[in-house]
Amino acid sequence: MSLTQILLVILLAPLASALLTIVFFRRKGSVASVLSVGAAGIVMLFSLYALYFSEVKTLHVSCNWLSLGGLSISMGFHFNQLSALMLLVVSFVGFWIHLFSMGYMADDEARGRYFGGLSFFMFSMLGIVLADNLFMLFIFWELVGFSSYLLIGHYFEKNSAAEAAKKAFLVNRVGDFGFLIGIIWCYWHYGTVDLAELESLLFLNPNLLITGMGLCLLCGVLGKSAQMPLHVWLPDAMEGPTPVSALIHAATMVAAGVYFLCRVYFIFTQDVLMVIAWVGAITAIFAAFSALAQNDIKRILAFSTLSQLGYMVAIFGVGTQAGVAEMLEFGFYAGVAAAMFHLTTHAFFKALLFLGSGSIINACHHEQDIFKMGGLYRRMPWTFLFFTIGVIAISGVPWIGAGFWSKDPILYLALKSNAPIYGILAFSAILTALYMGRLWFIVFFGEAKSESAENAKESSIFMVLPLAVLGLGSTFIGGMVQLYPAGVQQLLEKLPEAHGADHTLMVALSAGFSILGLVGAMLYYKPGASEDRLNKFAPRLFAFLKARLYFDEIYGWYIEKIQQPVAELLGFFDQLFISGLMVRGTAGLTGLVGIFVRATHVGSLHGYVYWFFGGLLLFWALAAGWF
Amino acid sequence: MEFYHTIAEALEGILDIVLFRGKALNASLLLVSIDIPLLVAFVLLAAGGLSKKFVRILAVAGFVAPALISVWLWYVYFVGHYSDYAFASDTPTGLENFGISLKLGLNGISLPLYLLAGIVGLAAGIYAINSKVDRLRQYLILLLFMQGGLMGIFASIDLFFYYFFHEIALIPTFIMIAVWGGRGRRSAAMEMAIYLTLGALLSLIGLLALYSGSGLNSFDIISMREYFSENPLSEIFQDNAYALLLFGFGILVSLWPFHSWAPRAYGAAPAPVAMMHAGVLKKFGLYGLIQIGAPLLPFGASQWTGLLIWLALGNIILIGLATVGQRDLKQMIGYSSVMHMGYAFLGIACFSVIGVGGAVLLMFAHGLSVALLFMLADCIYRRTGTCEMHEMGGLCRKMPVLTCFFAMGVFANAGLPGFANFWGELGIFIGIWKFQPWLIVPAVAGILISALYGLRAARNIFFGDLPKAFDEKTEMGDIRFGERLPALVLLTTLILIGFWPRAISDTLDNNLTALYPSNNPTLVIEEYPIPQDLIFDPLESEKLDENLPPSRL
Repeated sequence: MSLTQILLVILLAPLASALLTIVFFRRKGSVASVLSVGAAGIVMLFSLYALYFSEVKTLHVSCNWLSLGGLSISMGFHFNQLSALMLLVVSFVGFWIHLFSMGYMADDEARGRYFGGLSFFMFSMLGIVLADNLFMLFIFWELVGFSSYLLIGHYFEKNSAAEAAKKAFLVNRVGDFGFLIGIIWCYWHYGTVDLAELESLLFLNPNLLITGMGLCLLCGVLGKSAQMPLHVWLPDAMEGPTPVSALIHAATMVAAGVYFLCRVYFIFTQDVLMVIAWVGAITAIFAAFSALAQNDIKRILAFSTLSQLGYMVAIFGVGTQAGVAEMLEFGFYAGVAAAMFHLTTHAFFKALLFLGSGSIINACHHEQDIFKMGGLYRRMPWTFLFFTIGVIAISGVPWIGAGFWSKDPILYLALKSNAPIYGILAFSAILTALYMGRLWFIVFFGEAKSESAENAKESSIFMVLPLAVLGLGSTFIGGMVQLYPAGVQQLLEKLPEAHGADHTLMVALSAGFSILGLVGAMLYYKPGASEDRLNKFAPRLFAFLKARLYFDEIYGWYIEKIQQPVAELLGFFDQLFISGLMVRGTAGLTGLVGIFVRATHVGSLHGYVYWFFGGLLLFWALAAGWF
Repeated sequence: MEFYHTIAEALEGILDIVLFRGKALNASLLLVSIDIPLLVAFVLLAAGGLSKKFVRILAVAGFVAPALISVWLWYVYFVGHYSDYAFASDTPTGLENFGISLKLGLNGISLPLYLLAGIVGLAAGIYAINSKVDRLRQYLILLLFMQGGLMGIFASIDLFFYYFFHEIALIPTFIMIAVWGGRGRRSAAMEMAIYLTLGALLSLIGLLALYSGSGLNSFDIISMREYFSENPLSEIFQDNAYALLLFGFGILVSLWPFHSWAPRAYGAAPAPVAMMHAGVLKKFGLYGLIQIGAPLLPFGASQWTGLLIWLALGNIILIGLATVGQRDLKQMIGYSSVMHMGYAFLGIACFSVIGVGGAVLLMFAHGLSVALLFMLADCIYRRTGTCEMHEMGGLCRKMPVLTCFFAMGVFANAGLPGFANFWGELGIFIGIWKFQPWLIVPAVAGILISALYGLRAARNIFFGDLPKAFDEKTEMGDIRFGERLPALVLLTTLILIGFWPRAISDTLDNNLTALYPSNNPTLVIEEYPIPQDLIFDPLESEKLDENLPPSRL
C-alpha cells in the first residue's frame, strides 16, 4: 500500500464506524463499542506501520473538492514530521482511551451514541492532523467542535451538561469567527491556502507577513486550545464522561490549537509571536492558581490542562520568536520542537491522569469531590501506582517522569530567550507540583471520608490495561527521543538541549521546582486532609482563586444584560415598528383589499379555485385573441 | 372559425405532450414533472367521492413523480457535462402574438433549484399526506398546485411562464394559510397576500420592462441574453428596471425591511406550506436576480449594490439578533429564514462567480434545512401543544430520534461543515472579501448568531429537565414513519451535498462563468521563485505535485 492509501484508511475507518453506528447500531451498544474500538485499533496499527515501516516520510497530495470561478477548494494530505508526531499521539493515545471507554461505559444505556460520537471525533481529529490546506483544516476544526458538543452533552438530562455542551460549541465558534476571517484573508492575500506553498513562500519572504492575519488565525487557537480569554469552556466541559475528558479535553482536541500553531509557524510576525507567548504564559500561571482552589478532581485536572497548554503556546511563541530574530544557537525550530514534544508527553500523562481519575470516580460511585475520597491507595493499588506515575510525570521530577524530558527544554529555551516568561513558567512549574501533590495526598492517603470511598474497588482489566500502557509512556520511556519513529527524528533533534554547567543547573532547578511543590503540598495540606487548609485560613484568597478572575461572571453578565435585551428589543422593534406601524398603518389599503375579498367570499374552497381558474382562462383567451 | 382552429391547435399541443411526440424523452420529462402534480390536482378536484386512501395514493404519485424526474434530470445533466440549457422544449400556447410560448429547459443555475423543488416538494407532500387535517382532499389539491408551480418556475426559459408558475404556486399559499393556519392565520395571510402581491407586481413590471426594452417580442431568456449582450440597454433604463426587479423580488424574498410578512406568515402557516414556501418558492426572487436581473442589467446591478449590501446586513445582523430574542419556535425559524436570505443577497451583491455560486449553493441548502426545521417544529408542536420554547425541556428522553434530526437541522442551519449550507456560506464569505474586505466581519458574525439561537433552542426544547406536564403525557411518542421519511429525505440530501458539493457546483460553475466575472486570486508564490540553494534537508517524497518544494518540517 502506498502512504496515500494508508492515510486514507486511517482517516476513513473511524468515519465508517461512526456512520454504521448511527445507521444500524444505535440501540446495540455492545456492537457499537466493538466497532468503534476496532476502528481505533485499525487507525493505531496503520499509523504505527506508516510511521515505523513506511519508506516514504513526507507526502503532499490533494484533489479538487469545489471550484467556483477561480476559487478552488481542495482536500488532501500534507504529511510531514509534524503530522507524523501528531498522528502518533492521536492514534496511540486514542486507541487506549477507546479501550478504557469499553469498561467505563459498560453500563451506559446510550453507548451507541457515545461510541458513534467517539469515532466521529477520531475522524475529525485525524482530518486536522492530515489536512493539506487551511480550508480543509477549518472544516475538520469545526467538526471537532461538533463532536466535542455531542460528547460533552452525553448526559443531556443534566442541565449542567446541556449548558456546558452549548457553551463549548459557542465559545469555539467565537474563536472560529476570527479563524475563518484569517483564512480568507490569507487566501486573497497570498493566492493560496496550501500549507506547503505558504511555507515555501513565507519562510523565504518574511516581509510578506501581516500581523492582523496572524492575530485572526490566533483566534481559532484561543478557542480550540482554551487560552485566555476563551478558556471558559474547558472546565465546564468536564461534564462529559471521563474518557471523553481524557481524549478530547486533555490529550488531543485541545492540543490541536498548539499543533496548528506549529503547522503554520511561518505565518506569524514577531508581534504576533510576542502576543502568543504572553497569552500562553498568562494562561499557564492563571490556570495553575485556579487549580489550587478546586475540589472536583476532574476540574483540577482541567485547569492543569489549561496550564500545560499555556506552556506549549508560550514556548511556541518564545522559541519561534527567538528563531525569527536569529537570537540564538537553537535554530529556527526550537520552539516548534519544544511545544510538540511537550504536547506528546502531555498527551500521555494527562490522558493517564484523567483515566486514573475516571477509574477512581467509577469506583467511588461518581463521587468527584477529592475531600470525600481518601485512603484509596489500599483499595485501588494499580490505579494508585499509575496515577502516581502521572503525578511524577506532570510535576517534572528529574529523569523518571516523561514530563521532565519535555518541560526541561521548554524552561531552558525560555530562560535563554525571554526572562520574564521564564519566570512565569518556572513559577507555574512549582504550582503544578503543588496542586498535583495536593490532589495526590488527599485522594490516596488518610482515611476514607465517605461511604462510596470506603467501598471503592479496583477497576476491571479493560480500564487498568490502558492505564498501564499510558503509564509506561509517561515514564522516562516516553521521554526517550530515540524511541520515536525515524520520521520525526529530525524534528526532535531540534529540541533545545542544555550542556555542561547549564545542564546541571537545569536539572537542579527542575528537581527543585518539583520537590518544592510536592513536599510543600505534603507539609501544607497534610496527607488525607478532610478540608482545604487554604480555604480555612485564607478563605478570601481561596475564593478569589476559585473565581478564576471572574471571567464567567463577566461573560454571563454580557449575555444576560446586554446581548439578550438587545436581541429582544430588536425583536420587539421589528414586530412593533416595521410590522405594526409601517405595514398595518397602511390600513386603507388593507381595507380596500378587504372589501374586494368579501365580495368574492363565497365560503367554499371550490369557489376560490374556480374564481381563480375562471379569471385565468378569461385573460388567456383575451390575450390569445380567441374571441 | 379562427377560434376553433386555435382550440384544435391547443389540443394538438396537449396530445404532443401526452404522447411525447417530436421531443426527446428528457425534454418531455421536464414537462411531465410539471404536469403530473397539476393533473393529479385536477383529478382530485373533479372527483369528489374518492376514498381517503385513494386520494392519498394519487397524491403520493403527484409528489413522487416530479421528485424522481428531478433527480434523474440532475443525473443526466451532471453526467453529460452540459454547460448551457439542456432538455429544451417549446410547446405552443396560442399566445405567440406576444412572444409567449411554453419554453422549458434547465441550465446549471436552475438545475439545483429544480432539484430542490422536487425534493422539498416530496418531503412536504409526504408529511402532508400523513398528517391529520380537516378536508384532506382540498388540502392536497392546493399543495399539488403549489408543487406544479414550483417545478415550473425553475424549468421555464420563458419569462412569462416563469412568472406564471410563481403565481400558480403563490396563490394556494395564501389560501392554505388562511384556511388551515394556526393562531392569527387570517391577518397573517392577509398581510402576506398584500405584501407579496405588491412584490410580484413590481417584479412583473420589471420583467415587462425587459420584454419591451429588448423589442424582440419574445419572453425567451436565451434570445434576450444574446440580444442584450450585443445591445446593452441605456444606463437609465437599466437603473430603473433593476430597481423594480430588486425591490419586487426583494419583497418576495423578505429583504430587510420588507420582511415583516415572513415570520408571521410562517408562524401561522401549516407546516407543508411553510416548507414549500420558505424552502423553495421564496427562492423565486433570488433566482430571478441571478439568472435574469444581474446578467441582463449589469449596470443597474452595480448601481444598486451599495444599498443592497446595507439591506442584506440588516437581514443578517438585525434580524439575526431579533431571532435570538424569539421565544416562539416557529417564529424563530421564520426569522432565521429571513436572516439567511441576507447571505444570499450578499452573494448576489458580490457580482462574481464565487459570490453568486455561493448564493445558489446556499439557496439549495437553506431550502432543505429550513424545510426540515419547519417540519420538525410542527412535529414538536403536535406533541406538546405549544411553541413556547421556555415551556419545553428534556424532550430528548421521550423522542431521541426527533432530537437527533432537529439538532442536525440546527447545525446545518448554522453552517457546520458536512452540511451543504457550509459551502454556500463559505463561497459567499470568500466572494464578499474580494468585493469589500470589511464586510466579512458582519457576515461571518452571522454564523455565530445562527449557532447561538439554534443551540439555545435545541437546549431549551430537548435537553435538561422534563417539565411535569410532559412527563405525565404518555402519548408523546418519538417520530413516526410519516415524519421520519421526509426528514430523512431532506437530511440525506443536505449531507450528501455537504460531503460532495461538486454534485451541483460543477455545473453551476460552468454556467456562471458565462454570466459573471471570475475573481482569480493573484498567486503571490509565482512572483517569488524559491532559490534552490536555500532548501535544506530535502527529504525523499512521494509527491504528486512536482512544483512544490519539499517541506522543511
